[in-house]
Amino acid sequence: MKRLCLIWLALLCVPLDALAEIRLRDDRGATLVLAQTPQRIVTLLPSLTESVCALGGCDRLVGTDRFSNSPARVLSLPKLGGLEDAQIERIVSMKPDVVLAGPSARVIDRLESLGLKVLVLESKTHADVKRTLHALGQLLDSPAAADAVWARIESAMSDATRRVPTAMRGKRVYFEVDATPYAAGAGSFIGETLARLGVANIIAPELGPFPRLNPEFVVKARPDIIIAAQSNLADMPKRPGWNALAALQQHRSCGFDVEHYELLIRPGPRMGEAALLLAECLAKLPERR
Amino acid sequence: MSAALQAQNVSVSLGGNRVLNDVSLALQPGWTVIVGPNGAGKSTLLRGLAGLQPLEAGRVLLRGKPLTAWSVRERAQQIAWLAQQGSATGELTVRQIVQLGRLPKLGLFAEPDARDQALVQLAMVAAECDAWPHRRLHELSGGERQRVLLARALAVDAPLLLLDEPTTHLDPPHQVALVRLFKRLARDRTVVSVLHDVPLALQANRLVVMQAGRIVSEGSVDDPAVHASLTAVFDHAIRIERFGDRFMALPNLD
Amino acid sequence: MSEAEHRARRHLAIGLCALTLLLALAGLAAGSEGWSISQTLALLNGPDGSLVVGQIRAPRTLGAWLTGALLGLAGAVAQGLFRNPLADPYLLGSASGAVLGVVLVLAATMLTGHGISLATADTIARIGLVGAAFAGALLGVTLTLALARGAHETTRLLLAGVVVGVLLGAVIDMVTTVAPDALRGKQAFLLGSTGFLGWGSCGLMAAGVAMALPLAWRLSRMLDALTLGEESAMSLGLALPRLRMAMVAALALATGMAVSQAGLIAFVGLVSPHLVRRFAPAAHGFTLVASAATGGVLLLAADVLARSLVAPQELPVGVLTAVLGGGYLLWLLHRRKIS
Repeated sequence: MKRLCLIWLALLCVPLDALAEIRLRDDRGATLVLAQTPQRIVTLLPSLTESVCALGGCDRLVGTDRFSNSPARVLSLPKLGGLEDAQIERIVSMKPDVVLAGPSARVIDRLESLGLKVLVLESKTHADVKRTLHALGQLLDSPAAADAVWARIESAMSDATRRVPTAMRGKRVYFEVDATPYAAGAGSFIGETLARLGVANIIAPELGPFPRLNPEFVVKARPDIIIAAQSNLADMPKRPGWNALAALQQHRSCGFDVEHYELLIRPGPRMGEAALLLAECLAKLPERR
Repeated sequence: MSAALQAQNVSVSLGGNRVLNDVSLALQPGWTVIVGPNGAGKSTLLRGLAGLQPLEAGRVLLRGKPLTAWSVRERAQQIAWLAQQGSATGELTVRQIVQLGRLPKLGLFAEPDARDQALVQLAMVAAECDAWPHRRLHELSGGERQRVLLARALAVDAPLLLLDEPTTHLDPPHQVALVRLFKRLARDRTVVSVLHDVPLALQANRLVVMQAGRIVSEGSVDDPAVHASLTAVFDHAIRIERFGDRFMALPNLD
Repeated sequence: MSEAEHRARRHLAIGLCALTLLLALAGLAAGSEGWSISQTLALLNGPDGSLVVGQIRAPRTLGAWLTGALLGLAGAVAQGLFRNPLADPYLLGSASGAVLGVVLVLAATMLTGHGISLATADTIARIGLVGAAFAGALLGVTLTLALARGAHETTRLLLAGVVVGVLLGAVIDMVTTVAPDALRGKQAFLLGSTGFLGWGSCGLMAAGVAMALPLAWRLSRMLDALTLGEESAMSLGLALPRLRMAMVAALALATGMAVSQAGLIAFVGLVSPHLVRRFAPAAHGFTLVASAATGGVLLLAADVLARSLVAPQELPVGVLTAVLGGGYLLWLLHRRKIS
């Protein structure tokens, strides 16, 4: 009897709606408190848009940034500008419960000062992506979905790894992110995927995730395989000294059109698909002559 | 003697205001000074005569031919011009600036010969700026700068010299030297200057008195009618007195 | 010319030659291992030597010098033409024109369906970034001249340049709104880069120097006369509108060529004439040529540093020219020596 009374008292002491409260720590170290799971969400980063939809929260999106284009249903949502020029008035007028953004969005301070709640999530590595998915799962009050999405990514990665021919293992890859040139280093999520697929990176981890290179470095490094956007790949032989690269001469290169290239460079739920895409290309490459 | 340069019914409007109103003037050889109160249109007339001011009506004849019929280069060899405001900038030395006066003859490409160098040297001596040929413009005082720009105009060696306020910044000794120079040049050239300074103006051969865009009176510096106009346009603030064989202007304190 | 001026010129000329030689050698030794003579010699003895040194480092070194020379010349012409020590080569709309050309090429495929046909987009994409930047620069200057109705008045020309810059900037923003993929390429172009200058680029730029430098030098006396003021220059028999047009053409050619190869590199055109004036003030004939040589040295130094400081990574060369050139300007301001 006494035990029952104690349990009753304990239950009464716990405010019921606190059970629905969501408390999250974002990548700035700031703590976000929401009374309940948000019903109106604005995202300002394509990978965050994809993550929210993969976790089943697509219906709750009221607006995205202009670059978000996946899945197809977000194309009809209002576009609210980019990272540098987000349309603050419009965002505020949509009365979102939370705004999801990457760390370089200038608008974060402005939006917060206008009373909006902003969650900043950055994904530079695979571990970051997993963390982000779980944070968003918690936000959407469906933590199990996060596990499911991550499991899908993992299984796709393993599948992709199996598809890479043994002859390709250990081959040295140059993954170009931008024509300046900026490359994807071993420490970036792209680099981690490539490592998972069993290929090496000509960029050592000490150089950081996305170093801006002296083009001479690539020529001296003589990568076995070159991966880049199709348009950049087509221009590479014209760069001084690059036509001597065997990878270009023998077409041991993977060029991706805009749509598929976007898939490769987004650290989100489609990382598994990205790995499969890379594996497919690696499998089709001609043997070294 | 025929007039080398003459204005015929010239009118000019600047910013909606009539600055010159149907002005006709035939410049005689010798030294002529254009005088008058502020806003009379003196500089505008001089610039019109030099071909630097677009005319609303009328024309200017150089040696009987309209200015527009002359090429820019031929005109430059006939008329030497000194601007009112010294807006000169840059790194050139005194000598390099004076040497620019030979441009009408040399053009952009020819190198100066011995005669050109001699003319440059003479111009610098006449304008009293030959002592420091390698100094740069920004190192000079206002008066020194004015003498250099004047030397540049003299170096053109043109039969017509049109000078807008040549005595600006000059102190009395240099002003006097300039007057002597003009009188000397006036013997075989036509020198026309706009001057604010009435006592200096009275040392010229001829006066042109202007007011409100028109020529009120014109004639020899001895002419009493010209004197009367001169005192009238200045609201009788000055009095002209004879002093030996020359004239003086005094402030009228009555 | 005084003995002192002769001496100053001689010293500057010798200094520039020496610096050029030193920096050229440094350029050959600067690569993805940083700056190292021993590594370079090892490289030359190995199989990669002619490729890395001959095909990458050598043309990049020469190209950086040529780009700097074009910009230095253009800066000296601009400062003489506008009689303003703060004038730079990008004043007459050449910069915004070049950026517009680049952005159109980058956005060509995305713009189909938004007002341009597939065929037009294809043509634009085929012209390539270099051609589009050059054409754009010339177009920008032509627009400025048209707006100012010829090169009759300097103030009108300057104002027209500002207006064209703003107008073209608006068009650029419109294009990048419709085709946001072009934004990254635009940012890269704005910062400038000497990274991919090969022998072809060097050939084109050398041709640019061969055309613009003699033209400007021959007409340099006009710039001297302009220091007296526009009316006085006119009174000296100079057909100013035509001569100004010729100078603007030289300016557009030099700037367009430099910008199309290396993007919008800042400060080189602005600072080079100041450096020349500081060490050997002279009439424009000397100043134009010396500014070209100084610009070459300045950009080459920036390029060598960009390659050496964080190898195998690279700093944007525009940042280093800003540091070198801007730093010098700050120092000048501090000493209040800007005349």
